[in-house]
Amino acid sequence: MSSNMTDTPDETLIETGFEVEADRTHEQTDTEAILQSENLSVNYGDEQALDDVTIEIPENRVTAIIGPSGCGKSTFLRSINRMNDRIRSCAVDGELYFHGKNVYDDDVDPVALRRKIGQVFQAPNPFPKSIYDNVAYGLRIQGRDDEVDLDEAVERALRGAALWDEVSHQLDSSGLDLSGGQQQRLCIARAIATDPEVLLMDEPTSALDPVAASKIEDLIDELVEKYTVVIVTHNMQQAARISDKTAVFLTGGELVEYDDTATVFENPADSRVEDYITGKFG
Amino acid sequence: MARHEYQRELDRLRADVCSMSDLVLERYEDALEVYETGNRSLSESVIDGDHEVNERYLDLEGDCIELLALQQPVAGDLRFVASSFKIVTDLERIGDLATNLAGYGAAETTTLLAPEGVVELGERAGSMVADAVDAYEVEDADMTWEIAARDDDLDQACREASERVVRQLLADDPSTLSGTEIEARLADVSRTLLTIRDIERVGDHAVNICARTLYMAENDDGLIY
Repeated sequence: MSSNMTDTPDETLIETGFEVEADRTHEQTDTEAILQSENLSVNYGDEQALDDVTIEIPENRVTAIIGPSGCGKSTFLRSINRMNDRIRSCAVDGELYFHGKNVYDDDVDPVALRRKIGQVFQAPNPFPKSIYDNVAYGLRIQGRDDEVDLDEAVERALRGAALWDEVSHQLDSSGLDLSGGQQQRLCIARAIATDPEVLLMDEPTSALDPVAASKIEDLIDELVEKYTVVIVTHNMQQAARISDKTAVFLTGGELVEYDDTATVFENPADSRVEDYITGKFG
Repeated sequence: MARHEYQRELDRLRADVCSMSDLVLERYEDALEVYETGNRSLSESVIDGDHEVNERYLDLEGDCIELLALQQPVAGDLRFVASSFKIVTDLERIGDLATNLAGYGAAETTTLLAPEGVVELGERAGSMVADAVDAYEVEDADMTWEIAARDDDLDQACREASERVVRQLLADDPSTLSGTEIEARLADVSRTLLTIRDIERVGDHAVNICARTLYMAENDDGLIY
């Protein structure tokens, strides 16, 4: 069951919590995938949410996860950074590799993992703090309290989230005073401030108007130069617009098709996918 | 409910493209009859009727754009709408070529090539169009390859017909013809060669329809060039 990569686990990864920049070249030579699931199944009690999912997610690409409600999209996303650990009835079977290291191994620290695999949620959820403190929050938890260092990191993150020009003059204002679209970009700034490698986005634009959603889509296009983005979306046109790869899950948590986005939307191999994306449900 | 209406719109588009094809082929067959009989009133009817073909074309183009804008089709539906969008352009062009033929046919009858020879070529091209639209209607990929192969034969037949016309012209002894006769002869050659060229183009449009149909049916761009 284990891959070649797991036969030679990366010691650096285990010791320091996924700080493996120096070794990434090796991983990329073996495979372009930064994330791999192998026969991943997730159950909530008796309810199966993911069924034997095997997938490779390429680095510095946008991978869209689409499928009807209840098909396991968000469960898959939460499995990647072990957010499912918080759900008591959740049982995970199979492997999920990040840089060739199974994130479900006993020696993996979930907090360190989430530092490398950040997440942005459906509804913008800034903390009731200033814009500055929202972005600096994760950095302070990491123990970075040098003011100059923090100032630079906050500016870098806000620029990375395409928000700096709009808020640079009001960093002490509450994050809750921003518009919905700005709040979501603030959450993205917060997520990238800790310098993750992967950004998981769970329907990040579903609560936004088309203009704000468009800004997030543009931002994703820029983010992917530095990060790997995995996005769950119900908006198939959005998936088609912004992603390089598309995975289609159908009811029962089955990964039915995974291919280049253009192929999925132009000529899907599975007739169930064709029926789903064209709106004909059998 | 909205998706049912969407499916009905797709079905309607397919039926409307086939209906436009019926209209264009009717005009085209009339044009061939003009070529054979020199019937000037029928010629005028074909030429004047082209605006109806153009209107159908613009309506169907609008329907395709509306489907793309409002329904945002993907996968097989997208290929179908995109192909239909292209096919109506080919049908409109065949309508234009029919008006050309009707115009040539209403002029003096050619003495260079038997009209029935031209009409036979024209009928071959017309049957390719009819078969191509049949293939589109039922999404028959095999048929598209077969029709495309027939175009090679049509091209060869058109080449041979053109060569016959030129040979006859070369065989003429200009010293035996008056200036008026030479002018008439040159006009005849020009008209006959243009007729053959337009018929050959009708065959090309049939192949275009096949190419789009093959892409629509099987995501195969093997006939698109």
